[in-house]
Amino acid sequence: MQYILMCKSLTYAQRSARTLERAGITSTVSKAPPKTSKNGCAYCIKVSARVRAEALSILNSAGIPPARVYRMSDDGTLQEDET
Amino acid sequence: MIYLDCAATSFQKPESVHRAVAKALKTMSSPGRGSYQYAMRAADTVFDCRSALAELFHVPTPENVVFTCNATHALNIAINSLVSAGDKVVISGYEHNAVTRPLHAIGADVHIAASELFDPEAAIAAFARELPGAKAAVCCHVSNVFGYILPVERIAALCRTEGVPLIIDASQSAGSIPIDFTALGAAFAAMPGHKGLLGPQGTGVLLCAAEAKPFLFGGTGSESASPTMPAYLPDQLEAGTHNVPGIAGLLAGTQWVNEMGPQRILEHERRVSELFLDRISGVPNVQVYRAKRSYVQTGVISVRIEGLDCEMAAQRLSEAGICVRSGLHCAPTAHRTVGTIDTGTIRFSISPFNTEHEINRASMIFREIVR
Repeated sequence: MQYILMCKSLTYAQRSARTLERAGITSTVSKAPPKTSKNGCAYCIKVSARVRAEALSILNSAGIPPARVYRMSDDGTLQEDET
Repeated sequence: MIYLDCAATSFQKPESVHRAVAKALKTMSSPGRGSYQYAMRAADTVFDCRSALAELFHVPTPENVVFTCNATHALNIAINSLVSAGDKVVISGYEHNAVTRPLHAIGADVHIAASELFDPEAAIAAFARELPGAKAAVCCHVSNVFGYILPVERIAALCRTEGVPLIIDASQSAGSIPIDFTALGAAFAAMPGHKGLLGPQGTGVLLCAAEAKPFLFGGTGSESASPTMPAYLPDQLEAGTHNVPGIAGLLAGTQWVNEMGPQRILEHERRVSELFLDRISGVPNVQVYRAKRSYVQTGVISVRIEGLDCEMAAQRLSEAGICVRSGLHCAPTAHRTVGTIDTGTIRFSISPFNTEHEINRASMIFREIVR
């Protein structure tokens, strides 16, 4: 299972990924699944379930919290994570 | 050839710039258009360049570094963001057409804070007189004609006191004079990527601290279903495909500048230009625009020759292997301020790569041409 952290733009996604990288957390920048965006093309970073809480805490502290968070099951099903 | 026209563009560049451009052409596509490796490699390069520029100019976040086609494009964005028809705008007496033409096109009420060449105190006094009631101010950091370093830190402080947003044209200073954008508190700073930052032509940068308005509208690879431009930087100001090979070269140039340090580059240019000034000063019939105090001038030097028009002199220098620029240098305001509008000047501009040997040879040829 992975978590999708939605970012305002590609630049924010890259900044988020670099911020996590500096904290030793691996993430992947990619285009976001269409269902996650109301306005068309968007970017996200993907992190493993194991580091979700820590990643969110780091991004919040850095002033770049994700716009929304989705849980993506192994079969690709998405569910918004509101916790 | 001896290249002394780096105020127009940096012709000599670090080898790393050449390599970066070639590599980008072979291995990168367009950022923000996909998650495949060519697109992501391009995206990483663009982001790395934003980050390197943010570090060099002390911009708090990389998204506030916007890529443009050149400094003129960046200035047009900044000016159109702050100025409407009829607004009072204060400019220095040394501005380029990249500033004055957009203001004229908008129909701004332009007030020139004119002051003597190489006299920072007079520049500050002129801005202090003109700023009250202004909607915006624009000031070049360095005159592209005379190499005059305007006191932008103190002009920025005056603008902050008066509540007037300031646009800095850093075309002649970015890369060769240390700039702390955050400390300046300016609204915007515009600069080319191809001069002191040593990138390829077709690159420019706008540092943003104020709310900007899109100047060009189109695809950004983000919020594509929306009819409007994204409301956040840098997407808001970067419509269309990025100049990825150019930005890759700019990244290499910026890294070179970051490693050398702008202060060291300035010291080299000053040392070499002092040598040139010493060699050509005192030549009969030559008027050299040289600051009495070297800290108010960069490696940009203008001269006039009595009895020899500047275009003819530049042509003769060119035939002898010396590359210089002549005429009004797209800055008639500066020439009106100094009184050289009817003749123009011959401009020599020193780069980080010019050597003392080149300067000795150039000054010898110059003396022969004048004789």
